[in-house]
Amino acid sequence: MSAYVLESVAKAICDSVGYDFGCGIGQGAFKETFSATQADGVRVAVKVLKPGCSAERSDREVEAMKRCAHPNVAALLELSAIDVDGAQYPFIIEAFMSGGTLEDRLGAGLISRSELLKIGEALICAVDHIAAQELVHRDFKPANIMFVDAQGDAVIGDFGIVRDLRRDSLTQTYLSSGPGTPFFAAPEQLTNDKALIDWRTDQFALAVTLVIAHFGFHPYQRDGENDSQAISRVASRSGPSPTFVQMAAQIELPALIKMLAPWPVERFRTPSMLLNAWRAQRGGD
Amino acid sequence: MPAFHQIGHDSKNLLFDEGLNRFGGAILSPLNYKPDDVVDQLTRLKERENFVTLLDPHLYRPQSERMCLPSWDYYPRDVETADFTPVWWAGIVHKLAETALKLGPTAVASPAIVPKTFPDEFYLELVQNGNQLESVLRNTPVKPTQTIVASLVDLTAPQRAMSIASVMSKSRIEDCLLVLIGNTDPRRELADPEELKGAMKLIAALESGGQRVTVASCSSEMILWKAAGATNCATGKFFNLRRFTISRFEEPDSSGGGQLGYWFEEALLGFLRQSDLLRVNAQKLLSDASAGNPFSQQILENIPAQKAWVALGWRHFMYWFADAEFRLSVGSVSADDLVTAADATWAAVENSKPKIFMEERQNNGDWVRQWRRALEEFPYFE
Repeated sequence: MSAYVLESVAKAICDSVGYDFGCGIGQGAFKETFSATQADGVRVAVKVLKPGCSAERSDREVEAMKRCAHPNVAALLELSAIDVDGAQYPFIIEAFMSGGTLEDRLGAGLISRSELLKIGEALICAVDHIAAQELVHRDFKPANIMFVDAQGDAVIGDFGIVRDLRRDSLTQTYLSSGPGTPFFAAPEQLTNDKALIDWRTDQFALAVTLVIAHFGFHPYQRDGENDSQAISRVASRSGPSPTFVQMAAQIELPALIKMLAPWPVERFRTPSMLLNAWRAQRGGD
Repeated sequence: MPAFHQIGHDSKNLLFDEGLNRFGGAILSPLNYKPDDVVDQLTRLKERENFVTLLDPHLYRPQSERMCLPSWDYYPRDVETADFTPVWWAGIVHKLAETALKLGPTAVASPAIVPKTFPDEFYLELVQNGNQLESVLRNTPVKPTQTIVASLVDLTAPQRAMSIASVMSKSRIEDCLLVLIGNTDPRRELADPEELKGAMKLIAALESGGQRVTVASCSSEMILWKAAGATNCATGKFFNLRRFTISRFEEPDSSGGGQLGYWFEEALLGFLRQSDLLRVNAQKLLSDASAGNPFSQQILENIPAQKAWVALGWRHFMYWFADAEFRLSVGSVSADDLVTAADATWAAVENSKPKIFMEERQNNGDWVRQWRRALEEFPYFE
């Protein structure tokens, strides 16, 4: 039996729009993702939202994706809803990324310094674009970073917990932590310091993702510590581990260290400052 | 960077005083002057090369501290009934920008009030006002300045300085005007080391993040703000005489509050009354900075002639301020040098024969120890 509870819904969607159903390719808290092929042979990703998930959240996800138009940000092709067995399921159709996710790629081993620089630059451009729309993605992590094809550029997807800075926050102030994937989250996200959330929150999570991808450990993790201890260190703003700082300095990645500063004011203030600093690291390659 | 002259009540002439031409900028005061007066000041100041003029809308206490503000177009007529919503602020920002474009100062500061409390939402509102001002003034000759109002008491809380700096660094504006609000008795120097360290941390965080900080309404503690990296510091004549003001941030009424002359002595980092000055001078404890201050000689000549020297005292202090700001900026002296020397001079005062008893019991140099502590500890302040 399929582990995807929404597979029958995805098949119904494909039937209704004339796609060939493929298979399940991803699951998240709010949705399941399936591959499908259009009549012209172009593959797409069909994301079906689980019943009962916040309509406001999914509305914001869709609005955010509509606002973005950038080669390093997943493109929204269609948004609709389908009735199956008396229940309504909203769904999103996005371009299919045949290169898989960064998480898939890490299954085969860590990425090289030159790959790190290339992926980093593409994603900084994505962060820049997202920030210009007054959005904060809040969920940069290997599972949400996809590749157009085996050699192609990195693309950020899954705007499921996007924060729209033009609108009131959906997160209750009394919560001890805000939405996000704790292992990759910035201190202000873990401690729900809502006033501090902005594009620099994505800057931090992107840096953690890149460190995991290249070094294979969390930058705040001290020798012998587990994941939860690393998360606690981020929440308490203890700063990156001396081991990481030393290793990053040795291979001339100073921008990566600055991106991981505990307080937003200590990170790069603007995306263009970050991009310039990132590109300046090429020399060490 | 050069010191800024914070224009206050009846001080416009000091702007053009020959002995005070080391000031490189002025903060204009719509609180104390009507638009026509500010136009006159600007006309004369624009003749100076590279002189910066900053229009501070001074809406810090719009309901209680009005003075000349009602004569300005941007002053809200509904200030007593308004809810201070973002839309209300947006209207003020637009009118303020129009005023600034009409007057043509180098820069204009975003509007801000002094709130009852200082939550994060207040700082987000400051950023919002600043970013709005930046949008309106983009591609115009007038530069926006981001106003930051911070409470010294609030800054003593752990991590508060970094948190405030993180919010304020959301602003698109690189130049900031920092207004520090405190409860220090007006007759006293700022001397709470935790407050000082918090403010220094805030300045250092903003500056290292790429924002240039001008600290408003400074007195002698300017040396600490410079040590923290402040780009500019501003002062005015009343910061010599704030012992007579209602509070540090407010000015006396037009009567001046029964002022006495005060001499600012760098060797003690303190203010001296006339009799104290004579006794310290007799012990040869005055600094080289005082010897080089052109107003020192005039004051010392006025004393035997029993002439009042209140106005010379203002000038004496302001000259010191601009001179010390310059020396600190170019690195010919450090804040640490100044406080260490002052600590030693206070010890000399204590050990002098005959012993020098200052007229004011509390004028004992205690703050110098706290300043040394703040300088030593602020880099480690969390």
